[in-house]
Amino acid sequence: MADSLITARNLTRRYGAVTALDALTVQVEPGITGLVGANGAGKSTFVKILLGLVDPSDGEAEVMGHDVVRERGAIRALVGYMPEHDCLPPDMSAAEFVSFMARCSGLPATAARERAAEVLRHVGLFEERYRPMGGYSTGMAQRVKLAQALVHDPRLLILDEPTNGLDPDGRDEMLALVSRTGREFGISVLVSSHLLGELERICERIVLIEQGRLLRAAPVGALTSETGTLVVELDGDDAAVATFVDTVAAAGFAVQPERQRVMVELPVSTTPEHLQQAYTVVRDAALTANVGVLRLERRRGHLQDLFAGAA
Amino acid sequence: MTRPDTAGTPAPGTNASTIHDLGYRRYDGAREGARGAFRALFWQGFRAMFGLGRPFKAKVVPVFVTVVTSLPALASVAASGATQGQLPITYANIIGAQVVLFLLFSAVQAPEMLCRDQQHRVLPLMLTRDVTRTQYALARLLSLFTAMFCVALAPLVILYLGEIGVAKDPGATFATMGNTIGPILLFATLLAWVMSSVSAFLSSLTARRAYATAAVIGTFLTTVVISQGLQDLAGMSEATTKMLDPMETLRTTAMQLFGETKRWMELTPPPSVWVHVAELTLLGCAACAGLVWRVRRVSV
Repeated sequence: MADSLITARNLTRRYGAVTALDALTVQVEPGITGLVGANGAGKSTFVKILLGLVDPSDGEAEVMGHDVVRERGAIRALVGYMPEHDCLPPDMSAAEFVSFMARCSGLPATAARERAAEVLRHVGLFEERYRPMGGYSTGMAQRVKLAQALVHDPRLLILDEPTNGLDPDGRDEMLALVSRTGREFGISVLVSSHLLGELERICERIVLIEQGRLLRAAPVGALTSETGTLVVELDGDDAAVATFVDTVAAAGFAVQPERQRVMVELPVSTTPEHLQQAYTVVRDAALTANVGVLRLERRRGHLQDLFAGAA
Repeated sequence: MTRPDTAGTPAPGTNASTIHDLGYRRYDGAREGARGAFRALFWQGFRAMFGLGRPFKAKVVPVFVTVVTSLPALASVAASGATQGQLPITYANIIGAQVVLFLLFSAVQAPEMLCRDQQHRVLPLMLTRDVTRTQYALARLLSLFTAMFCVALAPLVILYLGEIGVAKDPGATFATMGNTIGPILLFATLLAWVMSSVSAFLSSLTARRAYATAAVIGTFLTTVVISQGLQDLAGMSEATTKMLDPMETLRTTAMQLFGETKRWMELTPPPSVWVHVAELTLLGCAACAGLVWRVRRVSV
């Protein structure tokens, strides 16, 4: 228990008749963890309970061994929070705002200014940090939000939808920044998003919640490892493809044709010998049917499949 | 990997990637905890009350109120000096006429902090740091109170220093004026306490600055109307109805504290000055409690 970052047991939060979190029990390890769920799945509520902004109706949670209700003070020094919503006063400059936030975490004035300059440089904000934030682009605003979360040197960063509203380039940069924070700065990150694709790229583990309940928590690798399906893309007319399918099926494999693409289900065991055998069957069948093989690979699982499987 | 945003190109000669590679440094210096956070919150709020470090627009009202409330004091000192002290300096009369301007300051500046924190949603950020809800409410109130105290004190101090300055024998005047400094401080405290706590409470109810300003001015004006109405229609005595109107109560208190009088006060003597002081103090306390109650419940 001691080495786990976040522990939640039967965590429940009700807003009147609405249950935002329904007996969520989950354990999050250090590293970069993605918190995934559709809008309204309870991500934000979970985050707010961890931050002590919202009290749980039932159950309990710990952040780095500190209870979220009884030991809020201890958690505050350890956690940096980047909210989903705008939080930047338009007539303040980034330098001023970030250093004010540092002082709200108890840093002395001089240290606050130095840390603010440092973290703003880390997130890639240079001369523009002295301009009022009202004129910032979304990308710059997101950087400032990340900087204020980092300024007091937290051990855990909680990022709520950090890529919201960014264009694809800005998204990539933000993800790179988050990933850098987690891997190079040695700060654990809990990043929430409703977009699986981006979390798949930067996270080590994924926690999937739906309707306030835990759906799955597992390392990304386990969720997206190679599956027992061979994807074969063919070049040939329909008749030739049909011949190929028949030939492979005759060899004892389950086959699903999708136009020019054929899914060949491998037997349960995927030892190298079995794989080799399957490849041979496919090659021979292609030769028999006189079709060209454009692509032959094992299909990788996608996080999207988790949602499909859960629905 | 992280090139700077296109909206702000780095200065020539600045190589973004080099700067990024400085690496992250841990902070293991001092942490002042909740007390440091309270001080930071107070100072940031206090500066905001005078628009310091903010654009010109934010300075208009504080500068206007400070200047306009100080001018009559200067004029009064000048008149007294020109007439060799024949024209006495009337503290209560001058400060009583400025009460509406102090209300303007309070009604416009309180939302500058409390509404903006909610409107721009900075409040949840502060609450995830070393700031509790109660500390936040009290720090903000203290900023506004201190600012109001300074603004209310300025014209009184001008009058005080002026009276000593224009006197034929400043030393002797100073000796007899020792008892004026107490009323000056007490009055500035009362005015700042009532107006800042009521304004802060009403501002904490909404995230919209315009609504908050209207609510503050509306509340104080409503008490004027009620007080006048009761006097005119119900025929209640002036001494009683004026107590229902905080601004009138402040004026009466000033009259009593500075030993001045008005005709109505001779016709219907108002209750003792300490009744008024107690009333204003309690009103401020009630509003302060309301502010803390509201901030503890506001959803973030």
